[in-house]
Amino acid sequence: MQKENIFTNEGNGIPQAWNSIFGIGIQGNEGNGIPSLEWESNCVINSIDQRDIFESSLTSIISSPANSGTGIPNSGSRDNIILKELIGRLGSICNSSDISHITTSSCYNTPLNSPQKVVNMSITDHNIHGNGNHQFPLAKYSSLVGKNDYNNGMESGKLSRVSTETGIKGHGNNNNININNNGRKRKEVAKGKGNGKETQSSSTLFAKDDKVVAEVEKEESDAKRSKSNDGKKSNEKSTEPPKDYIHVRARRGQATDSHSLAERVRREKISERMKFLQDLVPGCNKVTGKAVMLDEIINYVQSLQRQVEMFRPQVVVPNNVDPFDTSVHSFPYAFHSQINSMILDRPENQFSMNPLVAAMHRNSTVKPSHIDGFGEASTLWENDLQSVVKMALGGQDQPQDFHGQMKVEL
Amino acid sequence: MSSSPQTTSTNSAYLTNQFAHRFVRALNNLNHTKTSSHGHNQISRRTSRVKIAAYTAMASVVGSRRAWSRAVLWKIRKRSRIRSLLLRMNRKRVDHKIFNCHHHSKVMSLKRRNPNPKRQYYFNPFRNSSQESKLRKLVPGAQTMDSWCLMGETADYIKCLAAQGNNRKEVQ
Repeated sequence: MQKENIFTNEGNGIPQAWNSIFGIGIQGNEGNGIPSLEWESNCVINSIDQRDIFESSLTSIISSPANSGTGIPNSGSRDNIILKELIGRLGSICNSSDISHITTSSCYNTPLNSPQKVVNMSITDHNIHGNGNHQFPLAKYSSLVGKNDYNNGMESGKLSRVSTETGIKGHGNNNNININNNGRKRKEVAKGKGNGKETQSSSTLFAKDDKVVAEVEKEESDAKRSKSNDGKKSNEKSTEPPKDYIHVRARRGQATDSHSLAERVRREKISERMKFLQDLVPGCNKVTGKAVMLDEIINYVQSLQRQVEMFRPQVVVPNNVDPFDTSVHSFPYAFHSQINSMILDRPENQFSMNPLVAAMHRNSTVKPSHIDGFGEASTLWENDLQSVVKMALGGQDQPQDFHGQMKVEL
Repeated sequence: MSSSPQTTSTNSAYLTNQFAHRFVRALNNLNHTKTSSHGHNQISRRTSRVKIAAYTAMASVVGSRRAWSRAVLWKIRKRSRIRSLLLRMNRKRVDHKIFNCHHHSKVMSLKRRNPNPKRQYYFNPFRNSSQESKLRKLVPGAQTMDSWCLMGETADYIKCLAAQGNNRKEVQ
């Protein structure tokens, strides 16, 4: 059975050790019993922090399967066994470390995390087939890892990589931050391709920042998947700068070609932005679904534009209309129409605009330069502007009435 | 988005202040420059001019940072360019045919080349794409963007529109 390798090679000891353990040969740093373990399925381990913990647990993992699997030829059943054991060990590590990070650990974590289908269902199934010598907290582990679901309900029989890792390192947040910040698709680098080709059609993904993602691969259609993954690797956007790519992971039951991955990345970004818009538009918290949300956004933008253009048509009509206002269709209360009427009808409007200008100049000097005072400045400005408006509307004799009429209905 | 909630609040205050300042200045300019005769078409023209002033004020505050503000400013400047061109043409009293040809050529030269042609081969996450096209029409300068940029521009546009709306509300 062919497994897939996903490496994020940082050049530090652990990922190389991991790689070497599982992929190429064993020149691991551990040096105990590991060389005997040749494993086709490779795991990529996210080693951000706690490398020591990782090493220790890794050694424990490796040693225990190594003991049982010493000298085992690379056969399918044995791989199952080893895989199951490894997963069990990883599960134990996960349990020991911060479990909460596992949920946030997926490198694909977005705010719109759909409930993760059990990514490790395949693992459990897979391991059930293997020998039941070791009792691992597989169910627990799967439930832990299964909290982050990348699947948008498109689960199928096809299995893809399972990401178990960042939880192991307990720094999934770093993943998330990196991914959300980058906003681009990070794919394999040429290094990974070579390794992948070496390790019997295992595909490797490299991340250039300090991340090693541990994944356990299960394949049901190994040849196909390896080919597709290899194809994906070879379709890498190798032209992208190394630091500028997102770690993309194929989810369980989803296609692993580059196009669908790209589409998924794009969709995630867009849904992220939709959430942000949901916060902006008032009263959209209860709305679910993109279509309704979009409608709300469109309505809101239209109403805002109308407000800006029409100067808020829903205003209270004042009792005393400006005698100079000849524009019948406009609201005499509205600033806009008042200015219009002033501009049109009275040549001495220029003079009346002057106090506005004067007020503006006066206010601009008052306005403080630093940001803190902007609130005060705006209120000052607006008070002054209000007074100017009163003046422009034809007299200081009606400030109080005007103020009473200045109610905006929305 | 880049701005945190704290900076957004100060941003909105700053935005409203700037909006008010520039808008009033634009109105003042409008009043000083135009002294044409009165009439109902003048009213509509004034209305449109005030509207343009509002949008210009809003867009100039944001400046070149966002695509929608660039689009708004570009449109307004193009319109003013065409208008000045027409005025120049009128003053020179060019023959009508030549005038039309010149006008058309000038307009075409002023027309902006499409920098980001809409990519067709991307998967459209919005099943109902009519909404997206509606949004593109609403937000200025969003015709040639991909969906992700469109959402970002919409967010910023909404923010500025809301700030300006609040500004008016407080003024009046």
